[in-house]
Amino acid sequence: MDFGAVLRETQGGRDLPPPPAFAEPAADLAERARRALYEVADPEFPISIVDLGLVRGVEGDEEAGAVTVHLTFTATACPCMDFIQWDVRERLLQLDEVGKVEIVTEWDPPWTTAAISARGRKLLRSVGVVT
Amino acid sequence: MTESGFRSAEDLPEGVSGHLGNLILALADNKRLLGIRYSDWLLGAPSVEAGIACSAMAQDEWGHARILYALLRDFGHDPAALEHERASGEYHSSELLDRDVASWEEFLALNFLWDTALSVQFEMLAESRYEPIHYKVRKLLEEERFHFDHGQGWTSRLLSAEGGRAALTGAFGAAWNACLCWFGPEDDPLIATLAAHGIVRRGAAGARARWLERVGPLAAETGLAREADAIWASTREPVWECYLAGRRRAAEGGPDEDSLARVRGDRNRELLMD
Repeated sequence: MDFGAVLRETQGGRDLPPPPAFAEPAADLAERARRALYEVADPEFPISIVDLGLVRGVEGDEEAGAVTVHLTFTATACPCMDFIQWDVRERLLQLDEVGKVEIVTEWDPPWTTAAISARGRKLLRSVGVVT
Repeated sequence: MTESGFRSAEDLPEGVSGHLGNLILALADNKRLLGIRYSDWLLGAPSVEAGIACSAMAQDEWGHARILYALLRDFGHDPAALEHERASGEYHSSELLDRDVASWEEFLALNFLWDTALSVQFEMLAESRYEPIHYKVRKLLEEERFHFDHGQGWTSRLLSAEGGRAALTGAFGAAWNACLCWFGPEDDPLIATLAAHGIVRRGAAGARARWLERVGPLAAETGLAREADAIWASTREPVWECYLAGRRRAAEGGPDEDSLARVRGDRNRELLMD
């Protein structure tokens, strides 16, 4: 089933903090894609999936216009897995040079709160979530 | 891992793939059914906190089942068909999960004894040479730690409550044989083959011993286990008369009609829209 229409209607309206200010321009497609993922919010907490530590790695194939994202999730029963994957695809396909996105799910090592970035912790504290 | 791993079911030696697929299906079916049994107690548990724990554990089990069914694609199965289209007799789940349980002590037999039996089988797969499962088990076991704590905590609590020990003795006694049999007979060719190829860490007897080590200290208080020289043993011998090796259960039958409809998600699918 294609949940796209439903998701497109439900993902709006969230205030996501702006991405970090990067000093240097992104060197390659993988880095451009990784930076774009700062604009994908976790569906439950108002921080990006990068700051939450869900993005384990990004690979880019400039010639093929393809990006592979290695993702993990906080729990095996995370009810938001489909939402997150949809949002990742949606955001990356907005990059002019990207025509194909592959997502690889990884469970090892297991996600823990230690994976949350310093910036993510600060943002979570600002909304009353202690990690 | 000291030996090289198998990256897919195709790479497994002849005869191993079928056995491993069978074991993963049994684990998936048990997880799916156990999730339903946990969910039965969301609103009927003895405390609000226990109800919330049941909700979280149900969610975990369904997450584990989802991962395992998806993994069976590697063995030539269609995960959607496995999840939604099978008849009761095709499930490889324990007879303990065939119908809802009537009491909290029976629930604890599932939570403490049965869930731990499943986790021990996952422990055996933690360093499996079959890499696709090896890379998932650590996460599953980490989530299962809380299930064990919950079962252990409530079992201890009931053992010290008036009438609790007698109630648990009955419930644990009724579930005990299914748990012993889950690991298979000592000469189980399925597990022996998997152990010989480094797919599981220990054979059936080793896994059963590990389970007894985990549940023995509390099960001893119901007379079902005893310890000698730091080794835990069952006070009962497994009864194999009704054991169905292919389905890894110790009784004929399968999930009842209501459980089957829920486990397959029949009602949910009626609501699916194109």
